[in-house]
Amino acid sequence: MDRPDTPHTDEPLVAETQIERRSALAIWISRLEGPQTMGRGPVFWATAALVVLAAILYPLFSDPFAVGNSAYFMVWTFMAMGLGVVWGYTGALSFGQTAFFGLAGYAYGVLTINFGAAYGFTWIALMISVALGGLFAMLIGYFMFYGRIKGVFVGIVTLSVTLVLETFMAQTAGPQWRIGEARLNGFNGMSGMPPLTIPWPGGDVLLYPGVGLYYVLLAMVVLCYLGLRMLLNAPFGNVLVAIRENPERAEMLGYDTRAYQMLSFALGGALAGLSGALYTAWGQYITPSSMGLTAAALPIVWVAVGGRRDITATLLGTLAVLFAFQLLTVYGSQYALIVMGALLLFTVLLTPEGLIATAMRWLGRLVGRAKR
Amino acid sequence: MTEILSVSKLNKKFGGVTVANDIDFTLHAGTMHCLIGPNGAGKSTFFRLILGEHAPDSGTILFRGADITRLRSFERIRRGISVKFQVPGIFKALSVRQNLDVAFQHHLHGHNLSSTVKRVVEFTNLEAEVETPAGALSHGQQQWLEIGMAVGVEPTLLLLDEPTAGMSPDETRKTGEMLHDLNQRGITILAVEHDMAFVEQIATQVTVLHFGRIFAEGTIAEIIDHPGVQDIYLGGSDE
Amino acid sequence: MEFFAAAFAMAYQFGDAFAFLVISCAGLAIIFGMMGIINLAHGEFIMCGAYVTASTARMGLPLPLAILCGALVAGIVGMLVERIVIRHLYQRPLDSIIATWGISLIATQGVLIVLGSTMQGIGTPLGSIEVGDRSYSAYRLVLMAAAVALLIGLYFLFYHTRFGVIARATIQRPQMAQALGVDTRRVYGLTFGLGAALAGLAGGLYAPTMTMVPTMGATFIVESFVTVVVGGADIFVGAAPAAVILAAIRASLTAWYGQLFGQIGLLIAVIVVIRVMPGGLSAWIKGTRQ
Repeated sequence: MDRPDTPHTDEPLVAETQIERRSALAIWISRLEGPQTMGRGPVFWATAALVVLAAILYPLFSDPFAVGNSAYFMVWTFMAMGLGVVWGYTGALSFGQTAFFGLAGYAYGVLTINFGAAYGFTWIALMISVALGGLFAMLIGYFMFYGRIKGVFVGIVTLSVTLVLETFMAQTAGPQWRIGEARLNGFNGMSGMPPLTIPWPGGDVLLYPGVGLYYVLLAMVVLCYLGLRMLLNAPFGNVLVAIRENPERAEMLGYDTRAYQMLSFALGGALAGLSGALYTAWGQYITPSSMGLTAAALPIVWVAVGGRRDITATLLGTLAVLFAFQLLTVYGSQYALIVMGALLLFTVLLTPEGLIATAMRWLGRLVGRAKR
Repeated sequence: MTEILSVSKLNKKFGGVTVANDIDFTLHAGTMHCLIGPNGAGKSTFFRLILGEHAPDSGTILFRGADITRLRSFERIRRGISVKFQVPGIFKALSVRQNLDVAFQHHLHGHNLSSTVKRVVEFTNLEAEVETPAGALSHGQQQWLEIGMAVGVEPTLLLLDEPTAGMSPDETRKTGEMLHDLNQRGITILAVEHDMAFVEQIATQVTVLHFGRIFAEGTIAEIIDHPGVQDIYLGGSDE
Repeated sequence: MEFFAAAFAMAYQFGDAFAFLVISCAGLAIIFGMMGIINLAHGEFIMCGAYVTASTARMGLPLPLAILCGALVAGIVGMLVERIVIRHLYQRPLDSIIATWGISLIATQGVLIVLGSTMQGIGTPLGSIEVGDRSYSAYRLVLMAAAVALLIGLYFLFYHTRFGVIARATIQRPQMAQALGVDTRRVYGLTFGLGAALAGLAGGLYAPTMTMVPTMGATFIVESFVTVVVGGADIFVGAAPAAVILAAIRASLTAWYGQLFGQIGLLIAVIVVIRVMPGGLSAWIKGTRQ
C-alpha cells in the first residue's frame, strides 16, 4: 500500500532502552526546573538567590520583634504550599486543611507536655505530628477519592471535618479531657508546651520567636519549596496535573488515579500538619478556633490570591497576603478579614489565575522581551 | 490465530434498559476489527465494559487468557489494553510534549523518553506543534495526539471509539494509514466506526451490534451483503 | 403513660432534629440542586434573616410577619449578590463557591463592626407544654410543622407553578430552555434569590431560639452541608429523606451520648454514604426506581 505521509522507518515507536548515565541526584536536580513550575534559567535563579540572601541578612537590620513576626509568616507557608499541591496541581479543592493543621498542632502539644523537651524530643514530636496530619488526610482522602466524590463535594466534606473537629475540641473543657499530663482545655485551648529546642552542649537552645527560630524556619521553607519543585516536575507531579486536566484519560494511561489523589491529599495534609505543629511551637498555644470557619478560609485566600497553579506564586502570595493582613490588623482584625474577603472576591472575578501568578507571567514576558 | 480478547455471556442493564445482552465476542490477535451498529446499539457501553468503567451484571472478559472482569481500569491498561475516546481525551492545558511525557513516563525516562516522544510526534504529524497547548490543536490533530498517547502504554490491543469523527477526508485517510502502521507493529485494533468507507479501508473483520446484541459478524463484504444489516440501518428501528 | 411519655420524648427529639435539618438545608439544597453551586454564604443569609426578624419583631411587628420580613430581605440581598458576583462565574462553579466564601467573610465581619458582637434577641414565644413529667417548648412543635409545610410548599412551587416548570426545564436543559425563549439568567437570579430567602426564613424561624451573634450562621453550616451531601442534587427525593435518616441518627446519638456525638454521627454517616452511594440518596433512589 502506498503511504506517502507516514514516515517509513523500521525503528520501533518506543525507543530501545539505553542505559541512563546520569546519577539519580543529577536527575532530581534537573527537575528543579520543568514544565510544572514557573521560573527557569540564570535570571530566575539569581533573583531567587538574592531574595534568600536578603532574607538571611534581614535580621541584622531589623528588631527582634519584627524578625519574630516574619518567622510567624513563614510558619503558615507550608500549609499554603500543601493546599497548592492539592488544589492547584491535583484539582481537588480542599476547604479543610485546617483540620490537619489543628490535629498536628494539638498532637505537638500533647506529646511535648507529656514527654518534655530534653534530647531534642521536640523535633521527634514535630515529626510525629506531621505524620499524624498526613495519615489523617490519607484516611479522609481514601474515603473521598475511593468513594469517587469530586468537585464541590470534596470541599464540603473537608470543611465539615474541620468544623466538627473544632466543635469537638471546643467542648473538651472539663478535667476529664486530658491525655496524660496534657489538659485539652476546651474553648480556651492548650498552652504551656515547650518551643522547639536544639540540643547543645552546655544547655539546649530554645527557639522562642526570634532570630534563631527565624533562621530555622527560613531553611525549612527553602528546602520545602525546592523539594516540592523537584517533586512536581517529576513523573509524580506530571500525573497529578494530568489527573487535574482529565482524570479519565489519566486512568486510561494506566495510572491508579485514586491512589495518586490520595497521596497528593496526604502530602497536603502533612504540610498543613507541619504548619500546625510549628504554629504551636512558635506561640506555645493552640485553640479550637484554629480549625474554625474563618481559619479555614484563610489558606484559600492566600493560595487563590497568590496563584494556585504554581508553587512559587503560592509561596510569594501567601507571604504577601500575610504581611498585608498583619498591617491591617493594626486597625482591628475584623477590618483585615473584610479586606481578605474582598481580596478573594476580586481575585476570583478579575484574575482567576491569582494576582502573583499573573504578575509573574507578565514579568517573565518582559524579561524575555528584554533579552531579545 | 490466538485469541487476544474473548468476551462471554456479557450482560449489563442500566435501570430497565438492557445495553449489553449476552454478548459473546472473540477478537483474534493481529487483526483490525470494526464494531458497527446504529446509534444506541451499545457500542460505547461495550467499550466501557471492556475498559472497566462499567461493571457487568454477569459474564466474563478474558484478555490474553487472563480473567480481567473484576480488575479496575488502570490495571487492565497496564496489561496492555489502550483506548482513544470519541471526544478527544487529552490534557488540554498541557503542551503536546507534556501530554506524551505523561503517556510514556511509566516505563521510560531521560533520554529514552525524549527520543520516544520525538518519534511519536513524527508519527502523528505534530512536529510543528510540540510546544502548543493541546487544547489549541485542530480537532483532527487532537485525535492524532490521543492515538499517540494511547500507544504510550505499549498496548497489544488498541480500542478506538470513532477515530475519524469530525475529520476531513484527508485527515481520515492519514488516520487510516496510521492505524495500518500500528497494526503492522503488532497492535490489534478494535474500532467503533460509522464511516463505512473508512471501515472498508481498515477492517479485516466486522461485527454488527444491535440493541446490545451481536447481530452479525464476518468480513466487510459479507456484512455489506447481509440483508438484515441493511434493514437495521435503513429501517430506522433503532432507539 | 410512662411509655407514652418516653415515646413522645423520642419523637420530639427526632422531630426537632428533622425540622432543623430541613429548614436549614432547604435554601442550600435549592441553589445546589438547581445551579450546582454550594453557597458558602448560606450561614450569612441565615444570619441576615435572623437579624431582620429580631429587629422588626422588637419594633412591634408580629412574629410571623417579622419572619417573612427576614426572608424577604435575605432574598433581595441574595438576588443582588447573584447579580453582582455569581452571574459572572457560571462557567466556573468552583470559583463561584470561593466567591461566596469571600462574601461570607465580608458579611460576618461587617456585621460585627457595624452592629457589635451581639444583638438583643427575642424570647421564645408560646411557652411550653407538659408531657409526663417533662416540659417541651411549644414553639419547637411549630417549627416541626413549619418544616413539613415548607416541603409541601416547595413541592407545589416546583411542580404546579409556571416558575417551577420553567426552572426545572432550565436546570435540565439550559440551552434548550434558552432556545425556547426562556430568560435563563432571570431564572438563575430568581433561583438564587429563592435559596437566599429560604435561608433567611430559616434564620427568622430560629431567631427566637438563639443568641444573636454575627457568627450564628456557622451553627447551621455543618448540618445543612451534610444533609445536602447525603441527599444529592434533588431536594424532594434527596434532601428530605436524608433529613429523616440523619435526624434519626442525630436524635438517638444525642439522646444517648450528647450533642457532640450527634454531630460526629452525622459526619460518619456522610462519609459512609459517599463511599457506598456516590451521587447521594437522590441518585440512588432514582436508580432503583427505574
